[in-house]
Amino acid sequence: MFVYEKQLQYPIRIKQTNPALAKIIITQYGGPDGELGASMRYLSQRFTMPLPELRATLTDIGTEELNHLEMVGAIVYQLTRDLSEEEIKKAGFDAYFVDHTAGVYPNSASGVPWTAAAIAVKGDPITDLHESLAAEQKARTTYDNILRFCDDPDVIDPIRFLRAREVVHYQRFGENLRLLTDKLDSKNFYAFNPSFDKKCFNKQQNKK
Amino acid sequence: MTDREILLKKIGTLKFALTDIGIFLDTHPGDAAMIKKRDEYRRELMPLVERYEQQYGPLTKPQNTTNTWTWVKDPWPWDMEG
Repeated sequence: MFVYEKQLQYPIRIKQTNPALAKIIITQYGGPDGELGASMRYLSQRFTMPLPELRATLTDIGTEELNHLEMVGAIVYQLTRDLSEEEIKKAGFDAYFVDHTAGVYPNSASGVPWTAAAIAVKGDPITDLHESLAAEQKARTTYDNILRFCDDPDVIDPIRFLRAREVVHYQRFGENLRLLTDKLDSKNFYAFNPSFDKKCFNKQQNKK
Repeated sequence: MTDREILLKKIGTLKFALTDIGIFLDTHPGDAAMIKKRDEYRRELMPLVERYEQQYGPLTKPQNTTNTWTWVKDPWPWDMEG
């Protein structure tokens, strides 16, 4: 169950509109490595995780990503407030504008609508945790790329916050993978799917 | 920053600490010192939330203490002015 709190996880206060920047930042709203995909990936992967720590981590990080989705949406919204037709044209925002006006729509920087094809849920915790670890790094790279185009401290500050969270989440997923492999046969972690072939846990316990 | 924004920032900072510690505890559920730290932050947070909601309106829906539905009151989180 989810409860909405009427507050952003980190405040967004942007004084200067910048539709050209909005056009690239929106990729973290609905692009392949964006926050919507991150949340859907973790909240979907968690169901078949074989350990309670892993179920908790994916639930909590998947929930935090919804905070980040809201933050990125707020950035895009504030960067595109009260635009004139001339500003829209000059910034190259016209292609987005004809389809969505100044609405916040989940698509990538190149205009591809959000798609579940960019996430994976394999039902194997080793596979899924590697997918999640890679996802955090892909999002971190994307934020680094966004920062190359930012010169407004009002934008840089929250983007740096979001980038730092990717690093923390990567650490937690790394710990998840270690918690899992600690319970498996160290001679071959990859012989079984620990969510489906439950015997791989029993085997380890029998040895003790 | 207005008084409302300063108070909201204090609340946000403590809430963020609780989120971050919560995720840490998911992989370190036996870390008693961190659980204690979390309790300290929670105790610090509660009176601030109470004060905020009395002065400026609810942060979560159940906190409606008047006979009008204050949940609809502006500003919404994405609408902070620059």
